[in-house]
Amino acid sequence: MANHSASHAGGAHAHHWEISTYPAIVAVGVLFLVPMAFSAWFVYHSLLLTVLFAGIGTPLVLWGVSGWIGEGMSHKALLPGVAVAGLPVFIISEVFIFLSIFASYWMMRLMADVWPPEGTPAMPFGLPIFMTVVLVTSSVTIHIAEEKQEKGDLAGFRSMLMLTIALGLVFLACTIYEYSHLLGIGFVPGTNAFSTVFYSLTGFHASHVLVGAAVFVAVLIPAFSGKTNLTFTKCAGIYWHFVDLVWFFVVSQVYFW
Amino acid sequence: MGALLKEWVFTTDHKRVGILYLIGSIAAFLVAGLMAMLMRLEQSTVGLNIATSPDDYNVWLYFHGAAMILGFLIPGLTGFFANFLIPLQIGARDVAFPRLNSFSVWLFWAGIVVALLTFVIPDKPDVMWTGYPPYSVKTLGNTAFYVFTVHLIGFSSILASINFIVTIIYMRAPGMGWNQMNMFVWCTFGAFIIQLVFVPVLAAAVTMLLFDKYLGTNFFNPAQGGDVLLYQNLFWFYSHPAVYVIFLPAVGILFDVIAAMGKNRVFNYKAAVYGGVFGIVLITGEVWVHHLYVAGMPDWLRIGQMVTTLLISVPVGLLVISLWGSLYRAAITFNTAMMYAAACLFLLLVGGLTGIPLAMTVLTVNLSETAFVHAHFHFVMALFAAFAMFAGVYFWFPKMTGRLADGPLATITFWMNLIGVNITFWPLFIIGFRGMPRRYYDYAMFPEFQPYHQVATVGALITGTAMALMVINWIWAAAKGKKAENGNPWRAKSLEWTHADCPAGPGNFPGPDPKLDADWTPYNYAK
Repeated sequence: MANHSASHAGGAHAHHWEISTYPAIVAVGVLFLVPMAFSAWFVYHSLLLTVLFAGIGTPLVLWGVSGWIGEGMSHKALLPGVAVAGLPVFIISEVFIFLSIFASYWMMRLMADVWPPEGTPAMPFGLPIFMTVVLVTSSVTIHIAEEKQEKGDLAGFRSMLMLTIALGLVFLACTIYEYSHLLGIGFVPGTNAFSTVFYSLTGFHASHVLVGAAVFVAVLIPAFSGKTNLTFTKCAGIYWHFVDLVWFFVVSQVYFW
Repeated sequence: MGALLKEWVFTTDHKRVGILYLIGSIAAFLVAGLMAMLMRLEQSTVGLNIATSPDDYNVWLYFHGAAMILGFLIPGLTGFFANFLIPLQIGARDVAFPRLNSFSVWLFWAGIVVALLTFVIPDKPDVMWTGYPPYSVKTLGNTAFYVFTVHLIGFSSILASINFIVTIIYMRAPGMGWNQMNMFVWCTFGAFIIQLVFVPVLAAAVTMLLFDKYLGTNFFNPAQGGDVLLYQNLFWFYSHPAVYVIFLPAVGILFDVIAAMGKNRVFNYKAAVYGGVFGIVLITGEVWVHHLYVAGMPDWLRIGQMVTTLLISVPVGLLVISLWGSLYRAAITFNTAMMYAAACLFLLLVGGLTGIPLAMTVLTVNLSETAFVHAHFHFVMALFAAFAMFAGVYFWFPKMTGRLADGPLATITFWMNLIGVNITFWPLFIIGFRGMPRRYYDYAMFPEFQPYHQVATVGALITGTAMALMVINWIWAAAKGKKAENGNPWRAKSLEWTHADCPAGPGNFPGPDPKLDADWTPYNYAK
């Protein structure tokens, strides 16, 4: 409760209703971009509607998210720094999404007569090890970036952050390379039970790498004009460490079991 | 007008976010209730009545279940009540993440929009609220809309859980220890922990469904090494805990209403919190298999989960004992809120006790998929939770609007509701026990059940009329009802009554920040 008095600093009471336009904009954008555009394409097979819905949704999401981040960086929170406590709570829920996919994998694998099922090519050995090294390195670089920011070394912070983003992109490039190779030899998500799990787990993890890298870009852009927010960087960093940690489970279960 | 609209649509204030949840969930409730009326009318006689085809019945069933649970009960309790009350009750000026809160409510609304689009799109979803494969993968209906309704509302719930868990831990007023929190805050805290852990599993399950249907993956495709039962396991791994996400806040509302209207302490507070709430949180993830007793599984699993299912009645029992104990030597004022609360105690007794035979594998083999199950979960989940919500709406109505909703119409609709639901669901216990299958649009095999169905339909019509009148009464009372004399019409002791205005304004507390003494409790009526 140590922070509590800070949240009510000076007994400043709001005498007007607080508003923010951006969360609602993001929500409307999500509505168009995800359920509407997906259904238009996959259920109703209409290119026109898909383009229309995605065309409405994408700018709304981008506008809303950037405005939201801007507000978050400039406004003083009711309880400053509390997001650092909130992010691990969010990660608990993420853990359970990953666990659900892992549980599905284990259930299918342990009940199968033969494993790997027919149609599974040999999985690469060196590439996943390289990807692991890349991701672990990026966890170290983001930690150094945080330290530099805390010391006020803005230039060092920016370069370490950029290095982290670059490592994230290298990881994603490896994923794309591997996917294109596997898809090329006919190992598609529908091939068998293993392909389903393989693409779901690695794809879901890669989407987290993508989001993590995007968040770092959102930290980086204002940093070029000297604007930084330590809470924001720390949250992005915690998320990135989590993405790194999950990779160990993915890589050990998918490639080396 | 434009400024006012902007202030509401873009609000980040927890009370207004809460009221936006309330409006959305009442809308879902009314439409889903209408579906219930249509289904009851359809079943009033053997054969096809008002539906033009059995598919219509499936769509009604889908919308009724999905919207009642995902659109009304969960958002009403963990959206509206939690938002409106928790910061007020813990003495905070808002939640930890106000913008995230606004995002949560609009994601919920987006989910409501997707659900309501059911009625205008071609190939309506027809997969119940459970979406079991292989039907949901093979149907021509738009399963994607079912999945996205779950995604949007589920993501909204996860964000709300994070927000409130952090708010409750870090933002209590100085001096408010863990054992001085309102029971509603404790119960909802438990519900949010459950949501945080289990909603992601449902999100993953329906995502796999989406992938199977539209991207050709094999999660639930036995021909390629998938497993249909996997879905049922994942689904009920979330959906049984979801019952407690509904049950816990409803019990929390009852505690606060009963203590305030009885001017009494909460009986066995610590046992209720640390045994009741946390007992449920601990056991809730180990009972889901009782939804799959007849789906095929090893006996050791069936028997193990029968034990855990029976075991969970211990923490539930602790909460029930505390509720009844809080009535002991209470000076009860029977306003509308208290009447609903009292009715809840009865509904919970019926619903809870009929759950015990359903926990027994040997009985469930016969009772599964009958109207007995249908009646059981309507008593314990639908009726109990909805009546608790109505108790809460009447109780905190002055805090929302500055006016009282009590009056002759409130009393009349209460009795119509209570009598109507009992007329509806008791016959279903009887015919369920005798073999009436649930979820069927017709019962040509059992023409002897027609009189029971007709009685149930009459009950449903009474309830439907009463619910509509009740909502009209709320709208009327919000605009024209009797003004609450001061901030505390019930002379209650918890912070939202003692420190905030009626209606509560921006920043919650007009005076300085609440600071509490060591002996303060929200139920300190003896002093």
